[in-house]
Amino acid sequence: MSRSLVIVLGALALGAAVFTGAYFAGQRVGAVCCANPADDLNWLREEFHLNAAQMARIRQLHEAYRPQCARMCALIAAKKTELQAALAGQTNVTAQAQKELTELGELRAQCQAQMLRHFLAVSRAMPPAEGRRYLVEMEKITLGFHEAIEQSMSPHPGHEQGSP
Amino acid sequence: MVSADDEKLSALLRQGRDSPPLPPRFQEGVWRRIENAATVEAGSWLDALAVLVLRPRFACAAAAALILAGALLGARQGAQAAKQAAQARYVALVAPNPLR
Repeated sequence: MSRSLVIVLGALALGAAVFTGAYFAGQRVGAVCCANPADDLNWLREEFHLNAAQMARIRQLHEAYRPQCARMCALIAAKKTELQAALAGQTNVTAQAQKELTELGELRAQCQAQMLRHFLAVSRAMPPAEGRRYLVEMEKITLGFHEAIEQSMSPHPGHEQGSP
Repeated sequence: MVSADDEKLSALLRQGRDSPPLPPRFQEGVWRRIENAATVEAGSWLDALAVLVLRPRFACAAAAALILAGALLGARQGAQAAKQAAQARYVALVAPNPLR
């Protein structure tokens, strides 16, 4: 291998190492600068450009919503435990298991409705355009979860039963 | 000024000089040297690059550009990752998985 080739390859390797080092250092600095783990609502302020008054109102709504959310979570967890107990050792869906399933679905629907009411209240505390954007984002994250499952369950076009 | 005597003298000197015999395989040797010179020409871009790389001013400028580009790209990626993490934390608080 010629001396020139060694020099050029060495320079390339050194350049790659310098770039990689700078990239990881920059990544760490960027992550530390933009992160604020002490404030759970920091993302809202940054993303939706909220002022102090809007943030204060949203913080109030958030603090009021959290216990309701925790209570519904506990109710759902308890209902799931009951459902598992009703299903344990059964070879078919009993009337009790059917009842638990229905109640679990109702609880989830109540939770979603409560969640949407909270999102609407938060969006109203924002400037109108940002509020609409927040609502779209939250609906996509929360309701989109079910949509993805339902879409994956729907028949694929051209694979319908009885289709020619 | 060149006189007629000088011209005569030069002609006599040319006649008197013996041209030496060519060494064996002279022509082949000439062609080999021409080909070697061509090879050196082809490799010269690598040599030129090596010389450029070893030039302190170029090396410093390249290092500075790489550091700047790497740091900016990394900072951008880091900021995006932090933003996504913050969003995920907020969503987990207002819409825990059992509620979705």
